[in-house]
Amino acid sequence: MKKSLYVALIIFLVVFWLKACVNVDVQEETTLKSAQKNEQKINFPPTAKTKTIDGIDYLQSQAQVGKFGGVLVSSVIGEGPKTFNPFNTKDATSAAMADLMFDGLLTTQPQTGDVITKLAKSFEISPDGKVYTIKLRHGIKWSDEKPITADDVVFTWNKIILAGLGNTSTRDSVIIEGQLPKVEKIDDYTVKFTLIKPFAPFLRILAAPIAPKHVFEPAVKKGAKYFDSFLSTTSKPEDFITSGAFKLKEYVPAQRVIFERNPNYYEINLKNEKLPYLDKIIYLIVGDLNNEILKFEAKELDVISLRGSNVGRYKAQEVKSDFVIYNIGPDTGTMFVAINMNNRKNEKGKFYIAPKKQVWFNDKNFRYAIDWALDRQAMVNNVANGLATPLFTAESLNSIYLNKNLAKGHPKNIQRAKEYLKKSGFYWKNKVLYDKSGNRVEFDLYTNAGNTEREAIGVMVKQDLEDLGMKVNFKPVEFNSLVNKLVNSYDWDMVIMGLTGAPLEPHNGKNVWYSNGSLHLFNQRPSDDKSQRLDWETKLDKIMDEASLKIKFEDRKKLYDQYQQIIYDEKPIIYLYSPVRVVAIRKKFGNIYPSTLSGVAYNLDEIYIK
Amino acid sequence: MQILIYILKRILQTIPLLILVSLISFFIIRLSPVDPLAELKLNPSISKETLQKETQRLGLDKPIYVQYVLWAKAFVKGDLGVCSTGERVGAKLKERIPNTLLLTTLVIFLTWIVGVPLGILAAINWKTPLDRMLTVLTSIGMAIPSFFFAILLLIFAVKTGWFPVGGLTSYNFSDMGLAGKIWDLTKHLILPTTVLFTISLAGLQRQMRGNLLDVLDSEYVKFARAKGLSEFKVIYKHALRNAINPLITLLGFEFASLLSGAALTEFVFQYPGLGRLILEAVLKSDINLVMASLMMGAIMLILGNLLADILLIITDPRIRVKT
Repeated sequence: MKKSLYVALIIFLVVFWLKACVNVDVQEETTLKSAQKNEQKINFPPTAKTKTIDGIDYLQSQAQVGKFGGVLVSSVIGEGPKTFNPFNTKDATSAAMADLMFDGLLTTQPQTGDVITKLAKSFEISPDGKVYTIKLRHGIKWSDEKPITADDVVFTWNKIILAGLGNTSTRDSVIIEGQLPKVEKIDDYTVKFTLIKPFAPFLRILAAPIAPKHVFEPAVKKGAKYFDSFLSTTSKPEDFITSGAFKLKEYVPAQRVIFERNPNYYEINLKNEKLPYLDKIIYLIVGDLNNEILKFEAKELDVISLRGSNVGRYKAQEVKSDFVIYNIGPDTGTMFVAINMNNRKNEKGKFYIAPKKQVWFNDKNFRYAIDWALDRQAMVNNVANGLATPLFTAESLNSIYLNKNLAKGHPKNIQRAKEYLKKSGFYWKNKVLYDKSGNRVEFDLYTNAGNTEREAIGVMVKQDLEDLGMKVNFKPVEFNSLVNKLVNSYDWDMVIMGLTGAPLEPHNGKNVWYSNGSLHLFNQRPSDDKSQRLDWETKLDKIMDEASLKIKFEDRKKLYDQYQQIIYDEKPIIYLYSPVRVVAIRKKFGNIYPSTLSGVAYNLDEIYIK
Repeated sequence: MQILIYILKRILQTIPLLILVSLISFFIIRLSPVDPLAELKLNPSISKETLQKETQRLGLDKPIYVQYVLWAKAFVKGDLGVCSTGERVGAKLKERIPNTLLLTTLVIFLTWIVGVPLGILAAINWKTPLDRMLTVLTSIGMAIPSFFFAILLLIFAVKTGWFPVGGLTSYNFSDMGLAGKIWDLTKHLILPTTVLFTISLAGLQRQMRGNLLDVLDSEYVKFARAKGLSEFKVIYKHALRNAINPLITLLGFEFASLLSGAALTEFVFQYPGLGRLILEAVLKSDINLVMASLMMGAIMLILGNLLADILLIITDPRIRVKT
């Protein structure tokens, strides 16, 4: 009698919990479809203009006038920022937080991707493309009331960026033929940048943050080592003198970062009131995606990026809820299969790749066969829950330089794939593929273990290629070992990877495309290697060089179209898909204009609570 | 005096132990294929020069044994070095230790306050329905994996909205009054404490029950009963004193787990303690941080055992005679 009572009790408990888990997932299928539809049309406000009041050159937001006050709670995944010093950041979280506090001279128009002014009032490029003249706004101030002048700009460039303090990536990218740009002060509000050669990416590099000279100068004088720990996460909030819309108020390790409005911010609304509207921006530091989802559901978060199966569930709840979901289109991320075309020997005189495999991988028909055998749409549907777009180009789909002729791509066609293989003398015996020397076609396919998305793609790629009679050994390995294989030991056959694209500046992908680049995955060379380049590699080198010299968008577009064409024709990297970004944000916020280039909550200065 | 010499001896014995622990941990971490710069290497916008600078800064360009000697020298001087992000390891640990201590001491306190009496209760009422019920409950507590239980409670928090979802404080914590702060902390602590409490309670209660049952079965208890002592005196004066000895050893281990015992639960609840910090450090092969935490764990364990041994010497005359 007693026993049965216990059993009944336990069964009741189990059923109780299960019910809580089950009833949510019912409507997913139908609503997922509507979430996959093309992105909503957003009516962007006109770009902010300069408006001069009493000699002060304010930036005037053209967005709807909102109400002041309130808080927006967002989140960052991981362990939070590593530093608040904008010149030391090496990870996305730290960079985003530093950018919130320190504005650059220029910035990006979120809708079109054009370069627009921020701290600068105007900019001018000389006809020869070598001289950039920046006019600063008159009368704008740092958060401690000191004026922002040309001295700050010249100091930032000459003493921090070009002096090689902190993260030197900006400096490294502006070295042209071994020379650094010259930065000079013309008057208190004018700065001149002189390059020895035209270099188009320089304009967007001018978006680099500007530091207050009176705060940074003592730190810079103490040397590089001190600078590395300057304005770190242990610094007091009072130490931050900022130009951005917000400044640090409180950092609680592993819990949250709080920013408060900067009363001296130089942006105003259409009624000439000083922005930003919000009192505080809070970033909760959450360790993983699951916790982020739970926090959003518990209403502790106001905005969240949604992934995979969650989208369907949220879409089902959207009607009855207090949030709205935006599908903001393809992400900058790219998922691809890279083929190792390396045919060189290592220092011990051994081939990185077995010679018979070299023959396959350097055979264009072989690479074409793989391309035609892969079913991208099936991957999009099954792995990405339909929240992705098949990808065929080296530029991500939201790139302003996308080669639209290639973007449409082609469906899977196994027959065609087989024809390509036949052309190169491959043959089948009992549905097993052999090359013309009689070798069984068998190779390894790697990806990083633990990334469930890539592992699922790996399984699908393996299946598709096995339809061609190839034997694919799919090996997910630990991330660090994989990176070591890719950049040091080169002993891999194929790999499924993803990289973040640069939709505004293809030149930022130079490490991948230059034949001596540090991420030239498909034909990686040690940095001092002088070996023979493939014809099209030489062509790529030339195109990347030339495109960086051209200033006009149309000229550059033509060249970057060519580079995408070459990758498409040669297929050293076979692109699979770009994920689509879906975000949910509470309905109470106004001035939300999600954009595929900037995300959803990029205009924190204009967002307000209705 | 004898005790002092004993303690000194024990402390001296730990030195070679610590050296061995540090050697093994250092080389295992460094020989594993984890590369602290792997993520940077796959970032197309990071230049070769930056990578080189990072390699030098982290000392990765030197041979492993040189790295170890450098680390050991600094460690002996009390310098824990810097993390891969450039922050001081000591400062980083200092941020987290109070949070973890708050949670673990609370849990240990609660477990002992509740677990020991429950164990006694179960032993006295051996084979009665009360004992059976406690056995079922503690079995459940022992059987549920801590992370699973933690996730269930998190879902519970989301569905009911009664508790915050993880963390230690609300975002407006610094604007609250003292009462508000205490209330906020309590709300955040209830769920993680429940998880850890349920799990360690089970072990402690059973240990106590088992010990007391053993003792109650012994000759001298029978003698005491035969002598006509009251049941209260038999149990609380004679039996309990002897039954508590193994628990003191257990207390030593609990001391060791003060800083490292809650890692899994901390992770699920996003509790800002040491667990999350060290997990990330291990994943990124942040050698100084990992070494600091491992050494801390080793020292705490040694200290805990020492403490337990000393307590045993004080409480148990039999051991005193032997030493």
